[in-house]
Amino acid sequence: MEGELLTVIIVVATALAFDFTNGFHDTANVVATSISTRAMAPRIAVGYAAVLNFVGAFISLQVAATVASDVVDPGSITLLVVFGGLVGAIAWNLITWYFGLPSSSSHALIGGIVGAMLVAEGPDAIFFGEGIVGKVMVPALVAPTLAFIVGGVSILVLYRIVGRLRPGPVSGGFRGGQVVSGGLLALAHGTNDAQKTMGVIALALVAYGSLPAGDPTPPFWVVVSAAAAIALGTYAGGWRIIKTMGSRIHKMDSAQGFAAQGAGAAVILASSHGGFPLSTTHTISGAVIGSGAAKRLSAVRWGVAGNIVAAWVLTLPAAAGIGALTYGVTRIFGTGAAGPVIVSIAILAGSFVLFTKRAQQSVGAPAASEA
Amino acid sequence: MSFASIVDWDALLTVVWASIAAGIGVTAAYGFVILGTTRAVDLSREGRVGEAVLFGVVGAAGIVTVFAAIVFGIVVLSE
Repeated sequence: MEGELLTVIIVVATALAFDFTNGFHDTANVVATSISTRAMAPRIAVGYAAVLNFVGAFISLQVAATVASDVVDPGSITLLVVFGGLVGAIAWNLITWYFGLPSSSSHALIGGIVGAMLVAEGPDAIFFGEGIVGKVMVPALVAPTLAFIVGGVSILVLYRIVGRLRPGPVSGGFRGGQVVSGGLLALAHGTNDAQKTMGVIALALVAYGSLPAGDPTPPFWVVVSAAAAIALGTYAGGWRIIKTMGSRIHKMDSAQGFAAQGAGAAVILASSHGGFPLSTTHTISGAVIGSGAAKRLSAVRWGVAGNIVAAWVLTLPAAAGIGALTYGVTRIFGTGAAGPVIVSIAILAGSFVLFTKRAQQSVGAPAASEA
Repeated sequence: MSFASIVDWDALLTVVWASIAAGIGVTAAYGFVILGTTRAVDLSREGRVGEAVLFGVVGAAGIVTVFAAIVFGIVVLSE
């Protein structure tokens, strides 16, 4: 039992570390438009986003319920499966960060859990139909497309309404609006992404026996710690962006920024209410591309959009593969805490090597993953 | 099990219409806030008080719509 307690502590700590990196990675998506249009000063934008990410995590538990109940069979879950899934997601995030590929932390997390579960319990323990396809893959296709359309139509409507006005008050007005739309986007991000970690911790608690498999609702301490981890990650990630944002964020006018943030927030919040754990990165990207394409097709970097699609297709199977491998390696050391301890040390060492290499390579050249 | 039966189409359609209504609706309402306030200021400077008041009402209606929609959305989400 002591071994299990140590294992569950390692798994919860790994889940919160993943949540922190999720906030760290996604800060740019949430604050980039506000900063690039100068609607908010960078320091204020990042602090504001961190606070609203924290608040957003408390609004709903629908996505957490989906992750805890509808993706894999909670009755068959073990701590090593959850650990393997988390390591798969973290490793894939680190690999894509190292190579500057845009990727979805959410898809990596779900892919990792599915891969580990597949090796541990076989395909019967995975809800491929209604879970993976119905709640993850179809919404993953619909959400960015919807955000693209809503962002595009919104900017066309806005230009129609304010097109004949003097540009000065219009720009100022939309910058003011971005304080609200940027806040909603941060709130939406906290709502959808923090809940995925809550769902995974709930799965770990089911495996440990402190939550029933039939109703794995995350306890309040899980909600608070997941909210805090994503908010801290958002705040920490932002400071790096502040230093280098000038060369990375593409230029858009304040009306486009407002439309993109509004569209992204609307789609993410509506999806959270439906319990769909979608990729907030891809949804916000869809809204930004839509607001750019509606004004001028050539304004969009279609090559970058293509990379996003390619990384999106790769993420689920790649994270699943790493999750499965991690489970296999961990299982060599038995079912106790030895496997997770050894793998955690290996991951920390690998992360240190990657960060050091990346830091050496990026002296004077900003990392693409922050753009 | 067919593809049509594994997707919760009702929930997905709700996401689609809610996103369109909130995303485009709130954005348009805020556009009217800017239109109303900018035109109200310009017209009052020209001494056209009646028209300025009318545009002021448009702006005020826009801001009420924006905040009502946000509050409604958060209340629905937290239920």
